[in-house]
Amino acid sequence: MKITQDIKDSTIIMTLDGELDASSSVILDEELSDPEIMKYNKILVDCRSLNYISSAGLGVFISHLQRFEDAQIKLIFFNMQEKVRNVFEILGLDLLMTIVTNYEEAITIADE
Amino acid sequence: MLKERKILLPFINVNTTQIQKQSLQKLRTVFRFMLYKTNAKSLLVISAIVSWVLLLGNVLLMAESARQPGAIKMALPYINNLLIIVFILSVFIFQRIHANNLKGIDFSSYLWNLFSRAAVAAYLSIALYFGYKLATGYMQVKSPFLLHLVYQVNFGLLVYFLAKAFYIWRQLLLYHKNKFLHVAWEWFELLLCSTLILTLLNFNYTNYIFLPLFVLLGCYILFLCTNLKWVAYLSFNKKSRSLVLLGAILVSCYIFTKFFQEFSDSPELVIDYSDVGFLMLAMAFVGLYTLGAFLVSLFSLPTSSVFEQKSEDLLNFQRLSQSIQQGQSEAQVYDLLFESTIKASDASAGWLEQVRGNNTHISHLLNINNEQIERIRHLLLAYNIQHIDYINNNLDRNSGFRDLALPWRSLIILPIKSKKHVFGTLYLLRDIEQGFDRETINVLRTFTSQTILTIENLRLVAESLQNERYKEELKIATQVQESLIPKTFPTDSWFEISTHAVAAKEVGGDFYDFLQLSESRIAIIIGDVSGKGISAAFHMAQMKGIFHGLMQQDMPPSEFMKQANSALSRCLEKTSFITSSLYIIDYRMKGFMFARAGHCHTLYYNAMMDDVFYFQTDGLGLGIVRDKSYNNHVREMYYDYNPNDVMVIYTDGIVEARNPDQTEEYGEDRLKYMLTQTYHLEAEDIKCAIINDLEDFTGPENLYDDQTLLVIKFKPIQPNA
Repeated sequence: MKITQDIKDSTIIMTLDGELDASSSVILDEELSDPEIMKYNKILVDCRSLNYISSAGLGVFISHLQRFEDAQIKLIFFNMQEKVRNVFEILGLDLLMTIVTNYEEAITIADE
Repeated sequence: MLKERKILLPFINVNTTQIQKQSLQKLRTVFRFMLYKTNAKSLLVISAIVSWVLLLGNVLLMAESARQPGAIKMALPYINNLLIIVFILSVFIFQRIHANNLKGIDFSSYLWNLFSRAAVAAYLSIALYFGYKLATGYMQVKSPFLLHLVYQVNFGLLVYFLAKAFYIWRQLLLYHKNKFLHVAWEWFELLLCSTLILTLLNFNYTNYIFLPLFVLLGCYILFLCTNLKWVAYLSFNKKSRSLVLLGAILVSCYIFTKFFQEFSDSPELVIDYSDVGFLMLAMAFVGLYTLGAFLVSLFSLPTSSVFEQKSEDLLNFQRLSQSIQQGQSEAQVYDLLFESTIKASDASAGWLEQVRGNNTHISHLLNINNEQIERIRHLLLAYNIQHIDYINNNLDRNSGFRDLALPWRSLIILPIKSKKHVFGTLYLLRDIEQGFDRETINVLRTFTSQTILTIENLRLVAESLQNERYKEELKIATQVQESLIPKTFPTDSWFEISTHAVAAKEVGGDFYDFLQLSESRIAIIIGDVSGKGISAAFHMAQMKGIFHGLMQQDMPPSEFMKQANSALSRCLEKTSFITSSLYIIDYRMKGFMFARAGHCHTLYYNAMMDDVFYFQTDGLGLGIVRDKSYNNHVREMYYDYNPNDVMVIYTDGIVEARNPDQTEEYGEDRLKYMLTQTYHLEAEDIKCAIINDLEDFTGPENLYDDQTLLVIKFKPIQPNA
């Protein structure tokens, strides 16, 4: 699992590369728990290279969801692979989180 | 039965007789050997006594005939020589057989043995001689008869002494022998023996032909006498005791030599044993070896304490490294370390600090009080050197230490730490300058590193025992969890159900359960707790409790999900959630109500339409949204079933199972395909077909997530149901 951050103005683009399982979700949790991240009001998660997400990985996003919402930070996923999106959908997270097809769409929604 | 016995009996007989024969043979050989040994011994004793008595008789006869000139010489010198050789050989061979193998390294007991059994003979002989002198002096008569008797007795004593000493020295000489030395010794014995031939043939060994040979043999003896390895193993005390014994043995050698020298070429005697070259050589060997041992002991006396210290260090190393096998505790290892290092460095004071968690405490103290320790530690803290290797061999040169006015001049600090842990620190002090030389420091460091190794190993052993205990506990947890999952469903004529459940680890997070709500209604729940292992297992048990608690009140599935979400919100940790589906099947209404909370879609075969599909319904997992807004995220559905309809309920462990190279998931499509192929079968057979296909896909031993599968098949209405 590789997580890279790309900062543009008030937006963080976080790219997830690999498999988000029980061990790598700890790294993700550390990244999202960083107080620095609260300075930005848009977090765009690029899931193009995310091949697999385990329940532990989902748990990390879920646990931060409320905090971001309270701080009015928009969390947007884009470029999600079909099977990963299916996992989000089965769990019902697609109704709770913003999942869009591509970067442009993500930017548009973020700027709304 | 009778026949069998008859057949069996001969075999038993053969076996037992064979064993008996073998053991008898063994016994016989041992017995024969013992008999041979005792026989040989008694034979030798008899031959020695007989030859000595005959020799005495012959000598006396010769003396008598010599006194009367003109008388016919009855005795022949050759007979004398023969008798001498027989006597010498008998005594030597007897001692050779008699000598036991070296037992242990208690060499001083051998010396004592040699002194008390053999060297005393010399004192006896001299007493005898003086007795004779006294008697003849007192009576004023010359008695050649008595003189010959004394001379003969002394000869016997000499031979006995030499034989005994010869073979005791052999044992010590061959201590830590090598092949070369062994062969050299055997040649020595052979050469020495061959000198008896000279005596037999009455050659004079002092003539020009044999003298060089004897000188060569003397050199050989000198070479053999350099093998004194055993002396090094004597401790200081034993060495000083050995010196006394060796001195006494040397005196014995001197007495015998002097005595026979005095009587050599004496006109009063008819026989002269100083002519026997063998005796001279044997005496040379015994005397030189004793002298060698005496001198080596004497000169190694000052260095023996060093050797003792080294061997003690070695012993302590061994004890340290063996303390694990002996089941010793850490405290005992520290005791051993403190004792050994104090001894090895000859320290006058010291203390040992052990680290427990964040605080240190002093576990061992020697000749130092807490106040002094406190002051030294303060100073070390000021220098910031309290946990590093530190040697100060001249404390007075350092102003800080000088101010403390300590009675010591040298200090060494030895941290006991591995890469990961700090176990403690050892401080040693000496009252002299340059108290810790490089040699000592090396020994001390070896002690500390051995201690670290031992302690780490002890902890590893303890840890592995603890792990064993955890494994046992996990086994119990597995059993408990298994008891939480129902093994049997109510069997009824209107539906059949088949289940499959495996956990990836000892305990898992998957679960299913049922509850008979009324005669015609049954609630079936399936769920999956996020994560694996113990924490998942606890939440699973919790969920089971919630299911039974809430469903007692008989509520619709969506209501159950709302209440379960609210209950779980209070106890589930932030990153955990549970997915679940609840079905309430009503046999009388021929339909079922269900709600899905983030769980995998239900696979369904509709017999009427001959169609296999997934129920695509919305529903959020439990514990994701932890307030009232969850109520908007759960849907309830009602479905009428037909006879022969099949419902497949499962957890994500099934559809997310991967093939051996981890590239592909089993997937919903393949599961759906499997049902289209098997829906006509019984529920049990459908389940088996799916599981077999799944195992074909994943390969053996490739289980990463808990897997649960339930197959429910609705049956046609039985006329008498």
